[in-house]
Amino acid sequence: MKVGKRSRIQIYFDILRILCEELKNDKPSLTRVAHITNLPYDRFQKCLNKLIQLDMVREQDGKFFVTEKGFECINEYERINDFLRRMGLLP
Amino acid sequence: MAAIAILVANEILSTVLAFVLVYYFVRAYQLTRSLYLFGLPCGFLLLASSYVFLGVSLLYENNMAVSEMFLWLRLIMQSYGFAFIAFAYYFSSKTNEASERVLRMISLPSVVTIILVFGALYFTPPFLELPPASVADEWFKVLNLVFLGYVIWHLFRHLASPHKEAYGSVWAPLAFSVLALGQYSMLIWGIDGSQIAFIFAHIARLASLTLFIYIYHSSGRVGSESRKA
Repeated sequence: MKVGKRSRIQIYFDILRILCEELKNDKPSLTRVAHITNLPYDRFQKCLNKLIQLDMVREQDGKFFVTEKGFECINEYERINDFLRRMGLLP
Repeated sequence: MAAIAILVANEILSTVLAFVLVYYFVRAYQLTRSLYLFGLPCGFLLLASSYVFLGVSLLYENNMAVSEMFLWLRLIMQSYGFAFIAFAYYFSSKTNEASERVLRMISLPSVVTIILVFGALYFTPPFLELPPASVADEWFKVLNLVFLGYVIWHLFRHLASPHKEAYGSVWAPLAFSVLALGQYSMLIWGIDGSQIAFIFAHIARLASLTLFIYIYHSSGRVGSESRKA
């Protein structure tokens, strides 16, 4: 994943989105999610804990799930990004 | 009297639409934290204030001094609004820290100037009368058209870039073109007093603001629908 300097919100969104994609596998590997989002594992863990605290990700039996709130966040972020793209403000 | 009521209602509707756009762009800024995006809520907020000032000037049309003051405020706020929008587009392709510094350098004096204009117009002694706003109106309209022309040029260049999906991207240049047509019609009305141009200008303004709102509501549908599926 090629990334420039990202805001904290962009990092959270990337984690949620990749976690969402990886959930299609039976058990998403956190190391793999950290790798794809281009984050050191310790920083990734902090972000993941924050997402759990915000009730966007839930841990159950060692598995991580994106909650309804997490899905809403992804949708809202994508809507804004698409809006800005359509407005000609993003490449 | 009925004409004034229709015009005031039009200004109220335009203000509401502009405030809705301010809300959307503030959300966009909150999510992305890109400083250049801050120019858009500022720009639309200034446009909204210009519609308020025009509405108030219409309500005070019997008091020339007050009406003129609000017309001047309207002209200045509107041009600043378009300038902020044009700057946001200019800096959208230059997202390094240097450009953000330049944007800060532009924003701060702009805010100071706006406050000074408010103060100057309020405290100007009656013997130092400003020229009628209608005299300056045409020049301000030309300035607005320059700013809008830059935005439209930027958007068409963006649209013509390779790897750009055409669907959905034509609405923004269309909306800005309609907004520019509205300004052009007001210019025509200022020159020859054409009633058709005047009515078209107001319709064009409402249509363009509605188009911007439509762009927001039509965004992100594909992604969310595919995720639901």
